Amino acid sequence: MARWGMIIDLDKCTGCQECTIACKEENNVPHGSPEEQRRRQDPYWHKVIAASEGEYPTAIIEMVPMPCMHCDNPACVMVCPCKATYRRNDGVIMQNFRRCIGCKYCMVACPYGARAYNYREQEDLPYNRIDPPLRRDLIGAWPFPHRAHGMVEKCTFCFHRIEKALMEGQQIGTEVVPACVEACPAHARTFGDLDDPDSEVSILLSNRTSIILREAMGTKPKVHYLTK
Amino acid sequence: MELNFVSVEGNSKNYKIAVGVLAGLFLLGLICYAISYYEGHYLFGSSNVIPWGMPIVVLIYFIGLSAGSLILSTLVYVFGQEKYKPIGRMAVMLAIALIFGALVAIAVDLGRPENFWRLFMFFYWNNMTSMFAINGILYSGYFIISIAYLGIILSGNKVWMKRWGCLAIGWAAMVHMGTGAIFGFMAAREAWFTPIKPLEFLTAAVTSGVALLIVVLILTMKFTGRDLRKDMVISLSRLLIVFICILALLIFLDKMTHLYAPERAAVLYSLTGHYAWVFWVLQIGLVVVLPLAILFNKKLRTIKWIFIASLSVVVGVFFERFFLVIPQAGFPQQYYPGHIEGVYGAVGQFAFTPVETLVSLGIISMVVLLFLLGLKFMKALPEKTPEEIAAAAAKIATPKTEEALKTDIPAGPLVVENKPS
Repeated sequence: MARWGMIIDLDKCTGCQECTIACKEENNVPHGSPEEQRRRQDPYWHKVIAASEGEYPTAIIEMVPMPCMHCDNPACVMVCPCKATYRRNDGVIMQNFRRCIGCKYCMVACPYGARAYNYREQEDLPYNRIDPPLRRDLIGAWPFPHRAHGMVEKCTFCFHRIEKALMEGQQIGTEVVPACVEACPAHARTFGDLDDPDSEVSILLSNRTSIILREAMGTKPKVHYLTK
Repeated sequence: MELNFVSVEGNSKNYKIAVGVLAGLFLLGLICYAISYYEGHYLFGSSNVIPWGMPIVVLIYFIGLSAGSLILSTLVYVFGQEKYKPIGRMAVMLAIALIFGALVAIAVDLGRPENFWRLFMFFYWNNMTSMFAINGILYSGYFIISIAYLGIILSGNKVWMKRWGCLAIGWAAMVHMGTGAIFGFMAAREAWFTPIKPLEFLTAAVTSGVALLIVVLILTMKFTGRDLRKDMVISLSRLLIVFICILALLIFLDKMTHLYAPERAAVLYSLTGHYAWVFWVLQIGLVVVLPLAILFNKKLRTIKWIFIASLSVVVGVFFERFFLVIPQAGFPQQYYPGHIEGVYGAVGQFAFTPVETLVSLGIISMVVLLFLLGLKFMKALPEKTPEEIAAAAAKIATPKTEEALKTDIPAGPLVVENKPS
């Protein structure tokens, strides 16, 4: 089984936010009104933070794009009381909206602030997603086929693209990549199988110095950053 | 040495007004909750930075008060401290009303409360590594145990009273330590992450439990025209002093561990930043400084001052919970070394919204309402002594003044003899 991971080259990243916009378009994440953004209640799946260090003549600002880290040892899966957040066999951390009770414990536990809550009924309703499989024979109708308020949502590594590519036999990492990787004008992002030694991500990881965010948390993220 | 318990008649004007006002507030809260359920949680003050708001504050506050007063009631029924017997039943009844309020507060905070049942599909559809799932067992078990405990107390079976009391005291301690673990185990939230949290919660629970019991005792005795035994209040207040001291020590240790370690930004902010006054004035001031200043002063050893000290503890512990859940969660997380610019590095702001406030008030008034109804429909108060009945008759004859209420009531006999019927 593949173990999907992402490499973000901080040297190439210009902080243009194209990845954020591409994510919003692909997954139909609402943009959030100015009022929502002021109160920080806007839903987001991807963010770009700017970290500055030093004073003016020697100041340095680093743009760090942050999708969900899809940790191998995820804090959110540990604390979710209802198995609404779970780790797929290919390492993608998913949120099942049918099970989520909206307790926000995962938002408290996540060290990367990767999760957002649906504070109101949004105009953009569909998720563009097919998971979880509709076991109507077992569970009945899916109550939340669309975006509804009161649930936590997050980045999915564009798993619908991965699923489609696997079905159609396309090469993931070269032909098919998540929307943010596809959109990056600087080619700062690479997506692929971390377990496959011939994949582009594995080659990059072995050749370049890479870091992961908040390593001390012990979450083992699958999003790696190449340093400047 | 038997003590008879009676219920209040509930016919007085004050009682009816209180029940009416509380029921109105509860209905208002219910309406606001329905609005928030249909409209979404943007009506609440919580955000992606501070995910939990006032309902969670009310929840952990009530859990603490409930566990505290149940633990206190076991003083009578397990440890045989007969002098506290008049308040034993009241404490258990209070514990049940409070745990019910806490369970309602959990449901209010959920975005999708109709999925709540998944939490109770133990080991099958729920995730037992979550502290919420473990607390699901603890809370629901506690609710059942305390109701059964009240039943046993009312039935008067002394052997089972003791056995079930042992179970109840252990379970109540676990309930509140579990609640502390919800916060204390969160490594991502620097200010919360400490192994001392469960113990601190337990101590705060018992402290606020004693204080609430003193407050409720004084109020109930005053409004039902019973003689308050001053020695009982004073011995409860001595208990309060001990617990406040332990709580202060634990708070000090908690903050010191965080301040001594190099990664101290979050706690340093919470002690010196925008919301620091909540900690210093409302938490330390009301829970530790003011009550200890009153209780250690021999001149102030009167019912009135003990009432003020206890009330200050009850209010202060609320702000302790508030400080934990809201301001301490608002500190931005250090995603990347350096100073994070823009919104993702900004401290979270919490806005009090009318809907959230009314919902919280609704839960609180529901608990008080349950307690008042409990006084009416259950025999929780000690029977009036002949002297009290005579005094009440005298008061009807001569209208009582405010001054008469404020004067201290002399210490009466410890245990009232059961009059032969």
